[in-house]
Amino acid sequence: MNKIFRGFTAILYKEFIVVLRDPMTLFFMFFPPLIEMIAFGYALDNDVKHMPMVILNEDRTTESRQVIDNFVNTQTFRVVGEVQSVTEMAAAIRKGKAYVGLQIPPDFTRNLRAGRTARVQVLIDGSNSTTALQALNTALGVTLRQAVVTLLAESGRSDIPIEVRPQVLYNPAMRSPNFFVPGVIGVVLQIATTFATAMSIVRERERGTLEQLLVSPLSRWGLMLGKLTPYLCIGMAMAVGLFAIMHWLFAVPIAGSLVALFISTLVYVFALLSLGLLISTRAKNQMQALQMSMTLIMPSVFFSGFIFPRETMPWIFYSIGSCLPTTYFIELMRAIILRGASLMEFWQHLVVLSAMGLGLFAICALRFKQKIA
Amino acid sequence: MSDEIMIECEGLTKRFGTFTAVDHVSFKVSKGSIFGFLGPNGSGKSTVIRMLCGLLEPTEGTARIAGFDVTQQIDQIKNLIGYMSQQFSLYDELTVYENLMFYGRLYGLRGGELSRRRDELVALTHIEPYMSRRAGLLSGGWRQRLAMACSLMHKPSVLFLDEPTAGIDPVARRELWDLLFEFSSKGMTLFVTTHYMDEAERCTHVGYIHMSKLIVCGLPDELKRLPEVNPPGTKRRDVTCEHVTMAMQVLRHMPGVKSTTVFGQSMHLLVDENLPEERIREELAKAGIKQVDIRPIGPSLEDVFVALTAKMEKAK
Repeated sequence: MNKIFRGFTAILYKEFIVVLRDPMTLFFMFFPPLIEMIAFGYALDNDVKHMPMVILNEDRTTESRQVIDNFVNTQTFRVVGEVQSVTEMAAAIRKGKAYVGLQIPPDFTRNLRAGRTARVQVLIDGSNSTTALQALNTALGVTLRQAVVTLLAESGRSDIPIEVRPQVLYNPAMRSPNFFVPGVIGVVLQIATTFATAMSIVRERERGTLEQLLVSPLSRWGLMLGKLTPYLCIGMAMAVGLFAIMHWLFAVPIAGSLVALFISTLVYVFALLSLGLLISTRAKNQMQALQMSMTLIMPSVFFSGFIFPRETMPWIFYSIGSCLPTTYFIELMRAIILRGASLMEFWQHLVVLSAMGLGLFAICALRFKQKIA
Repeated sequence: MSDEIMIECEGLTKRFGTFTAVDHVSFKVSKGSIFGFLGPNGSGKSTVIRMLCGLLEPTEGTARIAGFDVTQQIDQIKNLIGYMSQQFSLYDELTVYENLMFYGRLYGLRGGELSRRRDELVALTHIEPYMSRRAGLLSGGWRQRLAMACSLMHKPSVLFLDEPTAGIDPVARRELWDLLFEFSSKGMTLFVTTHYMDEAERCTHVGYIHMSKLIVCGLPDELKRLPEVNPPGTKRRDVTCEHVTMAMQVLRHMPGVKSTTVFGQSMHLLVDENLPEERIREELAKAGIKQVDIRPIGPSLEDVFVALTAKMEKAK
């Protein structure tokens, strides 16, 4: 044991001093992640509320105003203006002044009262498919409901024949932050930690201090563990900060246990740092190391299920996602934070993450050449 | 100095692709000697050191440190050797004290042993006043002393120094050599690469590497007696006079003068054995140079290396 990790305490002693004495590194480790966290957290919001809507009301009756009120009452739409013609309405949407246009034709009330189909036209800006879909669903729901209520009144029944009583579990308000922010933590941790270890061995190689280490009896395992440990501590401190922001700023409740949360995070950060070390053993200079660690962030953003659900991905992207530590971490976080799951229920994820971390760590220790060329 | 061989290489060769950086180099260094390894930039000096320290795998040949093979038994070697690289690799963010502690711990020193050894080296290098200064803020001479102290924390038996005096002021250079003599007297074997001929003269043994090949290796005095350095029928003279560069122009074309080299106020001549000193005086007098002092001298190491390099180039 002592022999395998020979030199570990020396490297640990040195790394802690070097890291803590370099305010720039600390600043760049802590500051951008905090900003990214806050920016991502606010930006990734699927809750579309108060979409701007223009009205072309050619009917001007109580009934037509009732339709408009029903639209506004959903809180999905807000009236930003009235227009006088269909062309004017289309122009408003094209210019981006409104997402939605609601046209009530002159014969709306007449048809309604006569028992004929009263038509309402809704124009939706489809250039953003997410908002368009939500606008469409809401508009359909609002009018359908009004139609049913009208039928009920005519038929003399007082109750709706079938009523769905949906109950949304774990995120009853269906807030976007609850879904996104745990994932943001996963991505932000990767951005902040991987590059830190990726730079560390390359830096020693560039400065020539690596030669000095290589002539000493320091073992490769001792070197790797000594390099990794200080950043593990920093990564965990950062994770505490990120969870605090999630909880206090984005008001995401933590349903599961904090112990489970931190065990998962520890294993995840270890895997990320090992990945960084692996980059460090391959990269020739700090620039390369930085580029390599940045390149690895892209798949974590797209294929980990952070934004897009993995279930609908083509198999190739799904498989890429299955190789990423971030995928497992995000699933663990959503399970623990939102659903209050215990680690026993998600032990496979933890095992996979641990295996990735230990595997990567072993690979970089074994691959690391104790020669300079 | 004893007969125990501490460094030994046999046909040591290193190729990088098609380029041969070190070409079948063989030599032995016995315990307690100061081996000066000379050669121009890019001749392969650092590559040899790096192979001896186990940093580079030799392409061919063998090297042994204290009897241990550098490719097979590197673990036994690591505690025996110290290495001070060209750029004095220190951690700039760490203070002098922390650098010493780090290198001590790296070699497994702990507690009392560590602090005792640290204090010994601080006393030896007089670095005490700078203990809490960051290594990055030290001047060249102090950096070199610190690097030296760091490489000595584990009491190595063999110390490799790669151009330890490059870019260092003369006082620091002199003091470094004083330290090296002290270590050598205590039985440490030193392997030093350098550009400076005056440093080569201080070594107990020298080797000269040129174009990846070891041209010569041995005791300085033996090398100076080599027939290539003292061609039959020639002698060396030191000529001290005024206007020495002008004098050189005059003597350079004089029959019987083989070579002239200026050393500050004097010049070294290699001349025919039967060229009388009076002829030299006469020639100089013609040019108006009157105050002339001529003394017989032996060859310097520089003469040795120049002669041997010329011979090798000619052989090609």
